[in-house]
Amino acid sequence: MSSADLRYPRQTLWADYIRAAIGTLLCGLPLLLVEVNRWVELILGAGFILFGAFFVRTALRQRTRYVLGPDTLCADGPAGSLVEWNRLDRLKLSYFSTKRDRSGGWMQLAIGSTGARTLKVDSALEGFYDIVERAAQAAETNGLELSVATRANLRSMGISVAGQEETA
Amino acid sequence: MLNYVIRRLLIMVPTLFVISLLVYVIIDLPPGDCVTSQIDELLSRGDPDALRRADELRHLYGLDQDLLIRYFRWIGGVFRWDFGLSCQDTVPVRDLIGERLALTMVMESCTILFIWTVSFIIGVYAATHQYQLGDYVASFIGFIGLAVPNFLLALVLLYVGKVYFGLSIGGLMDPEFIDKPFSWGKFWSVAQHLVIPVIVIGTSGTAGMIRRLRANLLDELQKQYVVTGRAKGLPPLKLLIKYPLRHAINPFVADIGHLLPEVISGSVIVSVVLSLPTTGPMLLGALKTQDVNLAATFLLFVAVLTVIGMLVSDLLLAALDPRIRFGATSEK
Repeated sequence: MSSADLRYPRQTLWADYIRAAIGTLLCGLPLLLVEVNRWVELILGAGFILFGAFFVRTALRQRTRYVLGPDTLCADGPAGSLVEWNRLDRLKLSYFSTKRDRSGGWMQLAIGSTGARTLKVDSALEGFYDIVERAAQAAETNGLELSVATRANLRSMGISVAGQEETA
Repeated sequence: MLNYVIRRLLIMVPTLFVISLLVYVIIDLPPGDCVTSQIDELLSRGDPDALRRADELRHLYGLDQDLLIRYFRWIGGVFRWDFGLSCQDTVPVRDLIGERLALTMVMESCTILFIWTVSFIIGVYAATHQYQLGDYVASFIGFIGLAVPNFLLALVLLYVGKVYFGLSIGGLMDPEFIDKPFSWGKFWSVAQHLVIPVIVIGTSGTAGMIRRLRANLLDELQKQYVVTGRAKGLPPLKLLIKYPLRHAINPFVADIGHLLPEVISGSVIVSVVLSLPTTGPMLLGALKTQDVNLAATFLLFVAVLTVIGMLVSDLLLAALDPRIRFGATSEK
């Protein structure tokens, strides 16, 4: 199996930058332009920091490339990490949606190997399916116990992990 | 999760903006304004300066300006905690709502805690003791709670308290603490007076929650994995808590967002009946007199609490059970 270079699409990153900019402006402008009550100032300040953190995270994502190999997944960037498949000890696949009927959402995979930082990738990442499939194989090999939500999400992607069939 | 929080927060902003605009416009829609009733009174007394006084008052309250200008001045003032002037005694809305808002939040928080605690205990008991005496009693109480209007229950308790126990149930504190600064005596008095309103307002919500939790838990308890666990000799309590309860509790968490506005709107008439110094009676009065600034401020707070409640429940759900719903499509 050869290595694959994966990145977040430019469109997704721009959408996140726009979200961060709108949020930062919505929280920052009243702080700059209006005389604000102390409590409102605290709320807006917290929002400003949160959107600022989101901006930084998006920038980090833009500068990170993910290399999926037969033995590892390497996040090569400013806050990079390395996941060794044979030492995988964390796997969580979550689904998020902002809609009431929970449609049109996105997945987030959180994986980590012993002693390494947890790596989180969203379904917008190119080759996300391949990473999830490889992580599921590693979980199966390592006998990792998966949560009900992770198993259900894996199943919805057509991936099953032997010995962890859904019972609920 | 950060992505989720950011998206939800960004949705909240336009939601609150639209709600506040709609509320402000709708309260202002009926013909006349808050000055009309005051002027009618002056005219009936034969005051020759009534019309001039009306113009002065309209100018004072900003009612001579365009609706949109008034709205933007009001919403701009929210950042400074300045909600404009109320037509009631021409005092700032901020001064009128202060303690009432705090008392309302204390009362609603206690009511929600009461609803969760009572319904959780009874709901789990009823589901694990299906078709036993306890289940029938819980179901009966649940139906009574759903069927009896809150204000009727308040009236019954007022009557029973006064006639049989000689207790005055109305109000949220003893008269000597009204308009006095915070003290432990006042705190204790409020705590004592909270019991009846919390029970009255919380009963219907509790009844509904019991029914939902019981039904969800019964569904889970009849599933194959529970039967298998039982057959393999898992202790009943561990078997209950490990999976069925965690699954059954999801709709419970999802209800947090709905509970807050339900409790607040449900408490308005109860507050009038029990003479509670909360926002309910004042909101009712403001709506009747078209006191736009006061009514819109109260409704904005309700909207903010609702949106925050929804956010909290969605975040808890996302953290508790981040599962895809089959049939829903995920974007790449």
